[in-house]
Amino acid sequence: MELIKTAALSYDYPQTCGLDHLDLTIQTGEFVCLMGPNGSGKSTLLRILSGLAVASAGTYTFDGQVIDAAWLARPAQRQQLHQQIGMVFQNTDVQLFNSSVAEEVAFGPRQLGLSPAAIDQRVTDCLALTGATAFRDRVPYQLSGGEKKRVALASVLALNPTVLLLDEPLNGLTISAQTEMLALLQQLQAAEKTIIMASHNYQQVQTVGDRFIIFNEQHQIAADVTQAELAAQTTRQAELMKL
Amino acid sequence: MKPSQPNKLPTWLAQPTTPVPRAPRHQVNFLARNQRHVQALLARLAQPAPVPRATHWQLTPPMRLLQLGLMLLVISLVHSPVGLWLLALLIGGQLLLLSPSQLRRFIVSWALSSLLALSFIWPSYWLAGPSTLLLFWGKSSLLLANAQYYRVTTALTDFLTALKAWHCPDVIVMTFAIALTYLRMLGNYLLQTMAALDMRTVAPTKHPYRLIGSLFGQLYLKSYAYALELYAAMEARGFNGHYVTVPTTHVRWRDYLVVSPYVGVLLVLILRGV
Amino acid sequence: MHIPDNYLSPATCGTLAVAMTPIWTVAVLKVKVQIKQHRETLPMLGIAASLAFLIMMFNLPIPGGTTAHAVGGTLLAVLIGPWAACLALTVTLVLQAVLFGDGGILAIGANALNMAVIMPFVGYACYRLGQKWHHEKLGLAVGAYVGINTAALVAGIELGLQPLLAHSASGAPLYCPYGLNVAVPAMLLAHLLVAGWVEVAFTLLVFQFVKKVAPTNLYQTPIRTNQRPWLYLLGGLVLLTPLGLLASNTAWGEWSTSELKTMLTQQHVSTQVPQGMVSGLHFKALFSDYAIAGLPVSVGYILSGVTAILIFLLLMRGLQHETQPTK
Repeated sequence: MELIKTAALSYDYPQTCGLDHLDLTIQTGEFVCLMGPNGSGKSTLLRILSGLAVASAGTYTFDGQVIDAAWLARPAQRQQLHQQIGMVFQNTDVQLFNSSVAEEVAFGPRQLGLSPAAIDQRVTDCLALTGATAFRDRVPYQLSGGEKKRVALASVLALNPTVLLLDEPLNGLTISAQTEMLALLQQLQAAEKTIIMASHNYQQVQTVGDRFIIFNEQHQIAADVTQAELAAQTTRQAELMKL
Repeated sequence: MKPSQPNKLPTWLAQPTTPVPRAPRHQVNFLARNQRHVQALLARLAQPAPVPRATHWQLTPPMRLLQLGLMLLVISLVHSPVGLWLLALLIGGQLLLLSPSQLRRFIVSWALSSLLALSFIWPSYWLAGPSTLLLFWGKSSLLLANAQYYRVTTALTDFLTALKAWHCPDVIVMTFAIALTYLRMLGNYLLQTMAALDMRTVAPTKHPYRLIGSLFGQLYLKSYAYALELYAAMEARGFNGHYVTVPTTHVRWRDYLVVSPYVGVLLVLILRGV
Repeated sequence: MHIPDNYLSPATCGTLAVAMTPIWTVAVLKVKVQIKQHRETLPMLGIAASLAFLIMMFNLPIPGGTTAHAVGGTLLAVLIGPWAACLALTVTLVLQAVLFGDGGILAIGANALNMAVIMPFVGYACYRLGQKWHHEKLGLAVGAYVGINTAALVAGIELGLQPLLAHSASGAPLYCPYGLNVAVPAMLLAHLLVAGWVEVAFTLLVFQFVKKVAPTNLYQTPIRTNQRPWLYLLGGLVLLTPLGLLASNTAWGEWSTSELKTMLTQQHVSTQVPQGMVSGLHFKALFSDYAIAGLPVSVGYILSGVTAILIFLLLMRGLQHETQPTK
């Protein structure tokens, strides 16, 4: 099923270009890796897909609904979109604003009107999934970078989003923690969640993504290939290794 | 790192989510509004240095600040409509030197601030009559025009140079410099936090103040962390408590020439005992 | 609460700016002591100034669909200490006035007095009293409320005095056209009813968050307080008192006292506005009792001066009292 579709999507920053005429279709349950050099438009695309930014030109359709500034201006619709799309920010510092890890994870479900027992269940499950149970009662502000990443993912998962947007989720994690997180993401994919992950480290993600969208310096899509296709293109792989 | 992952996802997570449809009702979206404000501030801070005007009559930053102060003082002290008219002509003439885009920016923000000034002062119509109202509004607009002109034509850093040249203590100049730099960093941080909050807001906020409390509490802690880092960086670069700026340009005779009429008018006004 | 230019006469602006000088000097001295213990205070001044800028810019929702702003004077005083807050807020006010067009450039002295001195110090004093009586949060809430309202009251007085201090020969006000009977109630009502509560909620919640998450990042009151800077400050203010009289002299000194009296009464009786609306006149009648009609301005000035010194002494007393047991 076609979940996300963009047509001639462009985004302009005050001085520079962010994205240049992007045509993209993503199906439900895909695991997409966005690759490319820094500043090539990966984060900008994630911001537009999440509804945090609105494209300067072109259209973005999510689940058959055109998402534009007018649609996002209605709080109820905006909130509905955010219930379906979760995002882990590159700088997880900004994402954690509660005074304890448990509170942080409970923040989303609490708004859904669930019973206290159901909320507690979700908190426990999410912390267990992300391996963050040990710091349940700690203050997010005092966690290390890697710990913050786990808590941020847990707090997003607690809302059970259909689409998961991840901006460099593996940064700051140890190798074993990276493996754990990728395994979790694959489990989520198996549960029909769509995962879109921006990364500039090809080595980390080469085995998990089933589709790779590679941006060039001109903020355009240089290649849109499956895992198998990319494995056959040795020169492109070598380029990605150098990022 | 102990592997604490269960092999299977919990049932609630394995099922597809069904978004709860909500009755559209009136909500004040304070987050969206504040995001716009902070974005505008960041755009203002990132604004490139103003296009230099005809270099021949361009004043040095300290002189421009002095000129602004004197001009505001003169406008405050002049109460005759003719005098104010002349001053308006003077600022109007200066505006001719602006580039079209600068001029448009000037007019928009000046008109807005001037209307805002009017909104505060119109009740005085019933207290003091129309002439007082008009005179007051005219003077306010003129003062705002001058201040706005200074802002449009001055880069943020020129203000620091001016402070330094007027022998402001080092600590104060440094504080201003840090404040301007970190305004951008903290503004960015606040903007991102609001975006993250927005992403996880899936229902009308019941306690907006609690969120705002966390938002600014977090911002304060971030400021504190920045301060620690900045001090460490300053020390690492050999900071010894003295702030050194680039030597300021010397005051030229032209500067005195430009500033002297204001001083003259000011002296006349004060001597006349206005 | 930012007073724009043209509302205060240059004489008032000058006087208040000069009056601020000793306060700023003492603040710099006190902060230097603070820097010796916590060296990050030095960069923190600038960063706190940008924090204050963002606080004053942030729209807070209030019931009824509109928004209000907090000032954060009390909050900053509690977070980084009152003297550092005074300097940081001053920097914020200057940046706002000169580079962002919020508040007057000539009126910086007045705005600094209201928002960078009165507000943080009144708020902080209440907070310390609350701490002493083991009701820290109550003290903070009272401090935030009283702090912003005292600042609003003083701003109202500064504005309201203008028609008395500076007006043309015909009695038309040259600067702020609202007398005390309008300026003070208007400023106070807005802050007592709305802005004060917004400030309380904001201050309390941010404080609570910081206290819970990182209690060590709060400002710790120095163990031993040197009383001398306070005395210097007061002495400086007392010495400066006649300056205000001199400054205002140029504005109204041309007329004899009797003439002045008639002008003052003229100001508050409706002869000025024959075309005034009926509701406007009612409004005036309601507040005419507030006018200091017949009281020579100099007497009023001295009375205000003495009151200010008394308030300061009381403040000092409040702070002094609780440092004694720690000695």
